[in-house]
Amino acid sequence: MIGTKGGAKIGIATASMVSGRGFTPEELVEHAVNEVISIGNSSHPVIQAQAEAFREDIKNVMLNYLRQAVASHNTTLTNRFTDAGHPELVKLLEV
Amino acid sequence: MAITITTAMPTSFKVELMKGLHDFTAGSTTFKLALFKATASGSGTFGAATTNYSQMGSDELPTATGYTQLGKLLTSVTPTADGTTAITNFSALTWTSSSFTTCGGLIYDTSDSNSACAVLSFGGDQTVSSGDFQIQFPTASAAAAIIRIA
Repeated sequence: MIGTKGGAKIGIATASMVSGRGFTPEELVEHAVNEVISIGNSSHPVIQAQAEAFREDIKNVMLNYLRQAVASHNTTLTNRFTDAGHPELVKLLEV
Repeated sequence: MAITITTAMPTSFKVELMKGLHDFTAGSTTFKLALFKATASGSGTFGAATTNYSQMGSDELPTATGYTQLGKLLTSVTPTADGTTAITNFSALTWTSSSFTTCGGLIYDTSDSNSACAVLSFGGDQTVSSGDFQIQFPTASAAAAIIRIA
């Protein structure tokens, strides 16, 4: 039997936005991990459980590095503010 | 009038694929994503019949408050096969420190005279105010990837 099912398709792109601030590492990591790992609903439950566990591991690693990136960038900004003679602006970076 | 936008793969793009006019290989930085205005702020119709970026015309967001006309470069993912489906994808794209309202976007190829590759509807107007606006693409899989040929 010869099948002819097929076609060219477009997926669903999602728009996310935050107002009055930028994205937090926690928000970004959700987007990132969803882009990296997809778990099919039709997969065997054991495989799904393993995939979910793997997803959580990856998410935690990514979150840790994203937080480090923010902290490191704040260090860079602290030096720039201080070098520019505005050390008082460093307080704005404290969360 | 208002902007009418439907998520679609332009018919012209399918023809261009057969002519080998698009190269999605990672590193080929030629694909861009431009954003439409809010639904009520424009008048065009966009979907499978859209052929080129130039058709956006005055329906594209103006250059202001975080957005620059022509849009942003996309980072493409080299096409692969998932089962019997060919797929390609893009990395998420972010407009920072932005204030605008948009109802959709157009992916186009600057290496092929700005020909349209995908029309994306956001399902209604999306507004960002003094913040970040991000487009996330689906997982690169046969069931979800942004561009796929089964």
